[in-house]
Amino acid sequence: MPAASSGTADPIDQFFAILAAPGRISTFEGESATVRFDAGDGSDSEHWHVRIADGEVSVSRACAPADAVVRMQRRHLEAMVTGRLNAQAAILRGLLTCEGSVAALVMFQRSLPGPPGSAGRVAPISSESVTAQHARTA
Amino acid sequence: MSDALVQILEGNTFVVSDDRGDIEASLTDPTGLFSFDTRFLSRWVLTVNGQRLTALSTDDLQYFQTRFFLVPGTGTVYVDSQLSIIRQREVANGFHEELRVLNHANEPVQLAIQIEAAGDFADLFEVKDALAKKGQYSTRVADGSLVLRYQRETYTRETWISASAPAEIAEDGLSFSVSVPPHGEWSTELNVVASEGVADAEPDQPVGIRGQGQRRVRRDMARGLQKWLGRAPAVECDWEPLKLIYRRCLTDLAALRFSTLTMPGRSLPAAGLPWFMTIFGRDSIFTSLQALPFTSELAATTLMALAERQGTRIDDFRDEDPGRILHEMRYGEMAAFEERPHSPYYGNADATPLFVVLLDEYERWTGDVKLVRSLEKAARAALAWIDEYADLQGNGYVSYQRRNTETGLENQCWKDSWDSISYRNGDLPGFPRATCELQGYAYDAKMRGARLARLVWKDPAFADRLEKEAADLKRRFNRDFWVTDGEYFAVALDTDGRQVDSLTSNNGHLLWSGIVDRSKARAVARHLTGPRLFSGWGIRTLAEGEARYNPIGYHVGTVWPFDNSFIAWGLRRYGFKDEAASIVAGIMAAAEIFAGRLPEAFGGYPRSSTRYPVRYPTACSPQAWSTGAPLLLLRAGLGLEPDGEHLIVDPALPDWMGSTEILDLPGRWKRIDAFGRGRVKTDRLTGR
Repeated sequence: MPAASSGTADPIDQFFAILAAPGRISTFEGESATVRFDAGDGSDSEHWHVRIADGEVSVSRACAPADAVVRMQRRHLEAMVTGRLNAQAAILRGLLTCEGSVAALVMFQRSLPGPPGSAGRVAPISSESVTAQHARTA
Repeated sequence: MSDALVQILEGNTFVVSDDRGDIEASLTDPTGLFSFDTRFLSRWVLTVNGQRLTALSTDDLQYFQTRFFLVPGTGTVYVDSQLSIIRQREVANGFHEELRVLNHANEPVQLAIQIEAAGDFADLFEVKDALAKKGQYSTRVADGSLVLRYQRETYTRETWISASAPAEIAEDGLSFSVSVPPHGEWSTELNVVASEGVADAEPDQPVGIRGQGQRRVRRDMARGLQKWLGRAPAVECDWEPLKLIYRRCLTDLAALRFSTLTMPGRSLPAAGLPWFMTIFGRDSIFTSLQALPFTSELAATTLMALAERQGTRIDDFRDEDPGRILHEMRYGEMAAFEERPHSPYYGNADATPLFVVLLDEYERWTGDVKLVRSLEKAARAALAWIDEYADLQGNGYVSYQRRNTETGLENQCWKDSWDSISYRNGDLPGFPRATCELQGYAYDAKMRGARLARLVWKDPAFADRLEKEAADLKRRFNRDFWVTDGEYFAVALDTDGRQVDSLTSNNGHLLWSGIVDRSKARAVARHLTGPRLFSGWGIRTLAEGEARYNPIGYHVGTVWPFDNSFIAWGLRRYGFKDEAASIVAGIMAAAEIFAGRLPEAFGGYPRSSTRYPVRYPTACSPQAWSTGAPLLLLRAGLGLEPDGEHLIVDPALPDWMGSTEILDLPGRWKRIDAFGRGRVKTDRLTGR
């Protein structure tokens, strides 16, 4: 099925809309490449065509040629753009295929969010508890 | 099992077999054909008329090529065979084996020759931790090949095995019924290809993991090694072993070269053979620094590859932050299913500042401002990480603590074992930990970043800010880390800001970074070459007399050649020429005993008591930063230092080395010769 219309919050559309918002991102500063995502199977597949020109991002739904063409199921693409699936792991697992420039895909993955719930902080651990833990395991 | 052999490709494909060329692996026995961190063959056994073979000799022809001379039968001392078998193997995207059977009799012989083959597709992590598999195995015959297959959900890997001679293909291998004429020969070529496969399909040819043909790779390897050796500067020395050591270093560095998928034509140093043939932030950077005077290509590729994968988000599983430089990248099943965080994993606290250090050092040698300009954003992000993400305690120091508490690394500095950081009494500090060398690297990164900001990025305001921050860090560091009663720097500050007060080799890295006040440097140098730290062969990781000191403890008493090479550089930075020459003397003498290939670490026993360095048992050899150590020691001994468009040569070498020369040193000066005569009497310190 084609993407949901504006109003409903399709996570994939949302992700690409934010990515292309003017002045939003410095992730691709100085970079240029095109990456197309094909989600779904065969004739039913949806396309997101990302053009990065000297760091400026534009996204269209055209099935236009690109440096890297990435094919995956829609649910996996959705998981990836919401941080629930790591792009590199997806490649290794065979969940996505990349035709063309792997470098372009590696560059693109910088824009993907981290896993939901990553806090960036953990509680400190005391010297007593580290020493005790290793006394037990030693 | 007989003695294991290793051969490899300049990549992450390698074979570990016994001296007959056979592979008989189990989950816990690390032999096999490995590619992309996966074991594609766990069994590869040759028999003739049902008999196993015995090796008469095994020749390592090149780092990617071995030849086995074999005869039928096992277990006898006396060999009188009418048959010889020659097996020559080259590693590529799998391997290629030429099998020749020679009949020495006057009669023809009928032979049943069999190759048994199986693949367990174990992930390297599973080999190390002996874990069980979760997917299904199958075999099929396709296009004249035996295909071994493993599938778990959409993850597939296949091993394709074929022969040039007519073969009977069964599930467990290939067999040949042959007749060999008197004094005649039979031969076949065997091809083994590691393939990615396709989920839920049976492709009729191998799907290349890298999409490159095997033949091309093989041709490139032979040419690549010759070119690599030919391009390197020449070393001459009155002390003959130096030439052998140098040659060994260059060949091992060539073997350790690794190409990433995104930069196929370029190479960077992987961390070690065979288990660490992948990008490691820390190891690749240190090795690139060591090799920089001799080859700058490794540094350039390392910088680009690490920038490409620089962290951009908060990911607790991978310990990733924006700007952080990766720790380790892996390609196996466990990384694929996110059972291990190596896709890539970011848990280290030193590679990020060291990235900036390498970038600056690279420019000083090469003058390649183009690369420095293209990596400006990455370098700024790395510098920002130091202040915004690494200061875990808000006290102005770089600290580390893993957020992935299941599979992340507890110790995110180079001494990464559980007991490496301790108080004098042996207690272990809590987390976060602010180890001292990290502050040194951060200081150096800011100073060098400032130089690049002024020179290349044309941002003097940023340069001023970095220098101001560096000066402030240095002032605080010399106050907070200085152990007054011992006159050295504490190995770390703990969570209460208290000194973790043992005496360690980390002090030497502090000299290298430049963070040490001039007034304190003499005392530090005295410790480094004093009896508690210096064994005569080198500087121990932890000083004798500390509670956890153990001369064969991994990071608590052994001598690491890599560590020593940076300490020698550090001693030179502060003008301690004789002390640096003593380190050169000790490690070079050890290198001679190890036939040019320094191990990762050796025992910290005093030289006077053992007379030879005792190798620390470790699975990885050569190790990249041990391979690079003699190169950096040579630099330190000759006192090579770029100064603008010139190269300063200020030798301080052991007297017994005599005249030492590097010819055609590449750099911004094009090519230059560096010459020195050994005059420093190092025997008193080294106890030679």
